Amino acid sequence: MINNDSTEPRPDFISIRNFSFFYGKKQALFDISMDIPERQVTAFIGPSGCGKSTLLRNLNRMNDLIDDIHHEGDIVIHNKSIYDPHIEVISLRKRVGMVFQKSNPFPKSIYENVVYPLRVAGQNKKSILDETVERSLKGAALWDEAKDRLHESALSLSGGQMQRLCIARAIANRPEILLMDEPCSALDPIATVKVEELIRELKEEFTIVIVTHNMQQATRCSDRTAFFYLGKLIELDDTQKLFSNPASKQTEDYITGRFG
Amino acid sequence: MPEKLPEHATGKNRFQTAPATLFMDRFMTLVIKAGGALVITSVLGIFFFIFFQIWPLFAPASVTAAKSIQLPDNHYSIIGIDEWGSLPFLMEPDGKLLTADFETGKIQEIPIDFAETPQPRFTAATLNKREQEIMLGTNDGRFFLVSPNFSSSESDGRQLITINPRAASPESIGIPTQPILSIAYGDSGTQKLVVAIQPDGEGRRISASLYKRKRSLLGAGKTSLEATFDLTSLISGTPTRILVPGTADSLIVTTSDGRVHFLVLGGDNNGFSVIQTFAPFDHLENPSIAAATFLFGDVSIIFGSESGENCIFSLYYPEGGDKRLYGLTHEFAELGATPHFIASTLRNKAFLIGGGNKLSLRYSTTDSIRWQQSLPFNPVNAVISGKYQRMAILDSSNKLHFFEIHDPHADSGWNALFGKVWYEGVSSPKWEWQSTGGSDDFEPKYSLIPLIFGTFKGTLYAMIFAVPIALLAALYTSQFLDPGSRSMIKPVMEIMASLPSVVLGFLAAIYIAPLIENEVPSLLLVAAGLPVIAASTGFVWSHLPIQFRKFIPAGREWIVFLPILFASGYVLWGLGPAFEAIAFSVTDPTSRERIGDFPAWWPAATGTTYDQRNSLVVGFMMGFAVIPIIFTITEDALSNVPKSLRIGSMACGASRWQTALRIVLPTASAGIFSALMIGLGRAVGETMIVVMATGNTPIMEWNIFSGMRTLSANIAVELPEAPHHSTLYRTLFLGAMVLFLLTFAVNTVAEVLRQRLREKFKTV
Repeated sequence: MINNDSTEPRPDFISIRNFSFFYGKKQALFDISMDIPERQVTAFIGPSGCGKSTLLRNLNRMNDLIDDIHHEGDIVIHNKSIYDPHIEVISLRKRVGMVFQKSNPFPKSIYENVVYPLRVAGQNKKSILDETVERSLKGAALWDEAKDRLHESALSLSGGQMQRLCIARAIANRPEILLMDEPCSALDPIATVKVEELIRELKEEFTIVIVTHNMQQATRCSDRTAFFYLGKLIELDDTQKLFSNPASKQTEDYITGRFG
Repeated sequence: MPEKLPEHATGKNRFQTAPATLFMDRFMTLVIKAGGALVITSVLGIFFFIFFQIWPLFAPASVTAAKSIQLPDNHYSIIGIDEWGSLPFLMEPDGKLLTADFETGKIQEIPIDFAETPQPRFTAATLNKREQEIMLGTNDGRFFLVSPNFSSSESDGRQLITINPRAASPESIGIPTQPILSIAYGDSGTQKLVVAIQPDGEGRRISASLYKRKRSLLGAGKTSLEATFDLTSLISGTPTRILVPGTADSLIVTTSDGRVHFLVLGGDNNGFSVIQTFAPFDHLENPSIAAATFLFGDVSIIFGSESGENCIFSLYYPEGGDKRLYGLTHEFAELGATPHFIASTLRNKAFLIGGGNKLSLRYSTTDSIRWQQSLPFNPVNAVISGKYQRMAILDSSNKLHFFEIHDPHADSGWNALFGKVWYEGVSSPKWEWQSTGGSDDFEPKYSLIPLIFGTFKGTLYAMIFAVPIALLAALYTSQFLDPGSRSMIKPVMEIMASLPSVVLGFLAAIYIAPLIENEVPSLLLVAAGLPVIAASTGFVWSHLPIQFRKFIPAGREWIVFLPILFASGYVLWGLGPAFEAIAFSVTDPTSRERIGDFPAWWPAATGTTYDQRNSLVVGFMMGFAVIPIIFTITEDALSNVPKSLRIGSMACGASRWQTALRIVLPTASAGIFSALMIGLGRAVGETMIVVMATGNTPIMEWNIFSGMRTLSANIAVELPEAPHHSTLYRTLFLGAMVLFLLTFAVNTVAEVLRQRLREKFKTV
């Protein structure tokens, strides 16, 4: 798929190089190498336990929070290794936003949820925060529903609204990359449609990596799809091509529903 | 066609529940219900039990009419009673005693042998209740001392009281030929002071005689006249009444214009001098004094005015004064009639005041009216038995009425327990707790306020010490420490929570208190220095380049911190004496050198006391008891914050500290609040540590270097000294009730706040 933006998107914006990952002695990822292009949606699909979420969480080093882990190989974003000891993991996470499978709004107001990334970065200027809230909520297609209740608890929102709030929060500080870990798995179909539309809009600005179990969703909103199986990258291609004409037998079996 | 299914898969009874299951279900429901009801019933039962134990403290006196005996028509000058209250005696003008037996109603006239013919004529009489002696003044300036000589014997299982009055040989006083109008005396055992008023031409003369008793090894020695005094010139106005206290070294003269003169023996001329003149009813239209008598203890005087006002003046050192003077200490409601008499008891600070048809039983210390009634007769004189159980009242038609008093807690009530009370001998009303004293006329002081204060003080110092440490430790353990170390710390802290408080108290009293006593400056340095050093170490660490930091995995920073903290703690402790020499130096009274001595410096600098067993020790040790509780519950609350929130915060680029502070703490606030409240409850109710480490002084000052007494410690300390159903016994129950209500209130408020916090910070 060709992107006609004025600035040239980099095809290897995120570059994963011979990456293996271990939980203790158990190896979860095996020698994965792939490039993720800028301002496109890349979907990770595969059966449960195939390592797609693990790989996603390595992109912003969320796995660091787990005990007894180690990795081999490297992940390079924008020509810089994320494991470079000079890089603070906090600043990496500021560049790489994340939306989780289960929406996790903080027990604060809608407003405070959205501006949280700015607050922790030390931004407390009201005008900037107000602008951010409006832009982010609009970006997450929640503005119309939430604009009159910004100071109500985020927990008063419905499930789909909460997930869009989490997306608004993730994009509030305008990260370069947005990671989405099965963002629609807990949502009803109508909310899912809204989030998918949102993903298509967001890719104009962000490089998106989405993990999904839903192959229709991958076809609907991703540009490229990677299929993982048992911790290995089996196939990576344009979404249309992968779903219509998979190169690997395993991919074909999976997408046609023979296993998974 | 499906294959044939077995019977159990098709039979009707596959839809049935086993009877045993149903029975168990119903039975357990019942057991649980019964258990719940039992718990509520027992809590209520305890509550009601305590309530009924403390109720009599607030109950008024119960006074019931028992019997009336008509006496022969006569003028009875004094009325007295034996200590059992069954044989009152009255003095007839011709020198005979009339007794009226309470049990039998028998009236008996008992002559007294004055060994003189003709029988002397008596013009004045006074009864000394404390000595149980009657003094009779004659018309020719002499006085006889008569002892009623009660004796008690048992006959037919009944107590039989007999009286056998004996008169001592007469002594002269004042002008030999003049009749004695009024006489009073006091006897301290070593000296006796007799004072009499006689007419002298137009005016009246006041004479005093001082007798000294020389004690010998063979018993009470001879009493001999030491000196006589003519006090007339010292008193301006017409003297009407004399009161002499049991100390026999001073006297009170009231005059017809309502003034009171306080004369004291001694000084340079070895005579009497007027120390003070005051008029208790100066503010009234008619300031004259209708009745006056000493309260039990002879330190306070009860006055009644013509218009029925009633007040008490007591001896005390006025603020800044060096002499004990009389001052107004208690005021009572008007009687509603001119008081005819005031009768005090020998048991407590109660007194009976009567006039018109009114009779009122009052308690001086607590300013309270125990009992008051309008009677169908007019009382003119009365006496209360020595045990404060019965009173005999003579009315204007010479009928003697007996009343039974049931007032076991006369000295109690709201005022005594919670109000400021003006006890005898002190210069202002105070909240005071002192349940026992050395002498019989000691008045127990039962104010719970110092104990409530002590409870708050102990709790406050314990919480000041425990809360920051416990909360920060829990925050660090749950949010920053690596899981390996965390799994060690938690059980260790829980073991600490199970340490018996008696062990902590023992340690505090035997080891910590003496240690702290001499090392306060070191302690202060460590307490002030360690947080600063910890914070700056953390600051430096977080600003170190990542190359240095990467050697210590996140969560194991304590490997660097602990040695630094221990080393600096050791150094700071060692610097203590030097710090003491600089900051807390006093001049040594013997060597005149400046030396560092904190225990001496503190009282000199602040004017407060420095005790070895002080609030610092208690705060420290009780903190130790409270820290594990707060820590464990807080740690649980923090760890129970959904991981998704922490991860969500981290994913937003927040640091561990930002996540802990902005997300984890607010979300866990309800649990943390519970932890604080449970810790507070523990501190409030903690007993053994306080008993052993505070000195148990019921004082009211926030000074950290003085002790305290808490409600719980008070119960533990006083319990062995509280006789069953005594005022102290019931007051201890009241202390328990206050403690119960205190914790109940704290818990209720805490629960309401906790629910609100939980509502506010509930998660998905």
